[in-house]
Amino acid sequence: MTDNVKRFTPTQMLFHFGLIITFMLLSVTGLAWMYIETAWGQVLASLFGGYAGALEVHRITGLILLAGFGIHVLYTIWSIDWKQFPDSLMSRDSMVFQWRDVKDFFLHLGWILGLSKGPEFDRWSWWEKFDYWAVWWGLIIVGVTGLMLYDPVLTSDYMPGWLLNVALWVHRIEAVLAMAHIFTIHFFIEHFRPRCFPFSATMFEGSKAIDHLRQEHPAWIARLETEGRLDRLRVPPAPVPLRILYFGVGYALIGLGLFLLIFGLANVMLLTLQL
Amino acid sequence: MQSKHLIRRVLAGVLSCLLLHGPATSVAANPNAYEAASSGYFRDQDTLPGAYIQYRGSSEGGGAWWGIGPGSGSVKRSSFSADAHLGVAGYGIRSCVSCHQAQRYSLHSSRGNVTCIQCHRGQPIAGIHHYYSALNPIRKHAYVCAKCHEGASPSFATYVIHEPSPLSLATAQEFSLFYYAVWLMVILAGGVFAIFIPYVSLWALRELIGLLSGRKYSHD
Ligand code: HEC
Ligand code: HEC
Ligand code: HEC
Repeated sequence: MTDNVKRFTPTQMLFHFGLIITFMLLSVTGLAWMYIETAWGQVLASLFGGYAGALEVHRITGLILLAGFGIHVLYTIWSIDWKQFPDSLMSRDSMVFQWRDVKDFFLHLGWILGLSKGPEFDRWSWWEKFDYWAVWWGLIIVGVTGLMLYDPVLTSDYMPGWLLNVALWVHRIEAVLAMAHIFTIHFFIEHFRPRCFPFSATMFEGSKAIDHLRQEHPAWIARLETEGRLDRLRVPPAPVPLRILYFGVGYALIGLGLFLLIFGLANVMLLTLQL
Repeated sequence: MQSKHLIRRVLAGVLSCLLLHGPATSVAANPNAYEAASSGYFRDQDTLPGAYIQYRGSSEGGGAWWGIGPGSGSVKRSSFSADAHLGVAGYGIRSCVSCHQAQRYSLHSSRGNVTCIQCHRGQPIAGIHHYYSALNPIRKHAYVCAKCHEGASPSFATYVIHEPSPLSLATAQEFSLFYYAVWLMVILAGGVFAIFIPYVSLWALRELIGLLSGRKYSHD
C-alpha cells in the first residue's frame, strides 16, 4: 500500500542532476559577472578566486552543459519508439505536447477558479512538459549566444562584431528568465505548493509514493492497473538515511537558488546596466 | 595555453558549421586558385569577398546586413574635428562623465575598469570621425581594441562600446536588430511570468482550501 511507483530511470535522474550542478555553477558565476560592480557580486566571484576565475569557470561549465545537452539530444532520439514511430510521439507516455495538454491546462485553470472538476493527468502534466521543453529552447538560446561570446575576437571573424552587443543582451535576459523561473515557479510547483511541501524527492529517488500519484497522475495509475503493468513498476521507498540525504542535498540547492534570487533582486538597483 | 588553442580550433569548427560557410577563401568562385589563396600573411577571413566593407570610412558596418546593424544615427559636425573640445567651456575642469552622461556606463568602464582615455587616447581628444582619430573605424581595431584584445579585427571593432539603451524607441533607428531582439526577449520573459505568477498563486490558494476542507484528491 505504501509502495512507490517507478517514474524515472537512473539515466534520466543523472541528466537532471547534471543539469542542476551545471545550472547552479553557471548561475553563481554568471551573476558574479553581472553583479561584479556590487559587493555581493565580488563576494560571489571570490569563491572562484576572483573575477577572472569566475569567468573561466563560467565558460568551461557552459561547454560541459552544452556537451551534456548534445548527449541528451542523442538520448532523446534513441529513446523514441521507432517501431511505432509517428504514433509513439503521441502516446500517453510521450513528452510531446498534445491536444490533451491544452484541454488539461484549461481544466486545471477551471479547477483553480472553482469552475470545474480538475483534469485527470496521465503520465505527464502540462507543466511538467512545459518545464522540460523550456530547458530545450532556453539552452538553445543561451548556448548559441554563449558560444558567440566565448571568444568575441574569434566570433567576429565570422560575423560582424556588433552581433556581440545583441548576443550579450539576449544571453543575459534568457539566463535571468531561466534562473527566475527555476527559483520561483519550478521550486514552487515541485516543492512548495501545499500538496508537495516540504520536498519532493522524485528526481533523486526515481519513484514516488503511489498515494501521491493517485492524486496527481490518476489516469496514469489507472492505465497501469488496467494494462497490468503497475506491479512491475512498484518499488519500495528509499531507506531513511538516503531520504535524509536527498532532503539535505535538495534543500542546500533550493537554498542556494533562493539566496541568488533574493540577493539578485536586492542588488538590482545598484547595477549600471540600462535597459 | 595549448588547450586554449585547441578550444579556439574546436570553436572555429563549430562556428563554421553553424554558419554553413567557413573562413575558406572563395577558391571555387575564382578560376585561378593561386590568386585566391592567402599568402598566409593575412588571415584567410581578411581576404573574403566583402571584407573591405569594414574598412570604409564611417561606422555603418551594418550596410551589408540590410541596415539592421548600428550606425544609422546622425553624426555631429564636431565628430570630424581634430580637437572635439575646442572652445567647449569648462573642459579641463570638469570630469568626462559630468558632460557625457550617456557614455557614463558601459561594460568597459563599469566592469572592465577601463578609463575613457585608454580608448579615446591623449589630448587633444579627437572626434570619432576625424580622419586621424585613433577611433576612426578604419583603424580603431588596431590602435585601440587590439591593445587589450589580441587579434582584434575591423569586424570586432564594430562592437558598440557605448550601447544605446536597447528598449528606447530611438534605438529602433540607430541599431534596429539590437532593439527588436531585446524587446522580443523581454516580451518572452515578461509573458512567462505574467502567466505563471498569478497562476501559481491562485493554485496555491486552491490547494490550501482543498487540504483544509479535507478533500482526498487534489483535483476534486
Ligand atoms: C565641459 C564638458 C565636457 C567635458 C568635461 C568633456 N567633454 Fe567631451 N565633449 C563635450 C562636447 C560639448 C563635445 C562636442 C560633441 C557633443 O556635443 O557631444 C564633446 C565631444 C567629445 C568626443 C567626440 C564625440 C564625437 O561624436 O565624435 C569625445 C570622444 C569626447 N568628447 C570625449 C571626452 C572625454 C574622454 C572626456 C574626459 C577626458 C571629455 N570628453 C570631457 C563636452 C565635454
Ligand atoms: C573600450 C573603449 C572605450 C572606452 C573605455 C570609452 N570609449 Fe567612448 N567611444 C569608444 C568608441 C569605439 C566610440 C565610437 C562609438 C561606439 O562604439 O560607441 C566611442 C564614442 C564616444 C563618444 C561619441 C558619442 C557616441 O556615443 O558614439 C563619446 C562622447 C565618448 N565616447 C565618450 C566617452 C567617455 C566620457 C568615456 C569614459 C566614461 C568613454 N567614452 C570610454 C570607445 C571607448
Ligand atoms: C584597456 C583595455 C581595453 C580596451 C582598449 C578595449 N577593451 Fe574590450 N574589454 C576589456 C575588458 C577588461 C573586458 C572584459 C569586461 C567584462 O566582461 O567584464 C572587455 C570586453 C570586451 C568585449 C566582450 C564582452 C563580453 O561579454 O565578453 C567586447 C566585445 C569588447 N571588449 C570589445 C572591445 C572593442 C570593440 C574595443 C575597441 C573599441 C575594446 N573592447 C577595447 C578591455 C579593453
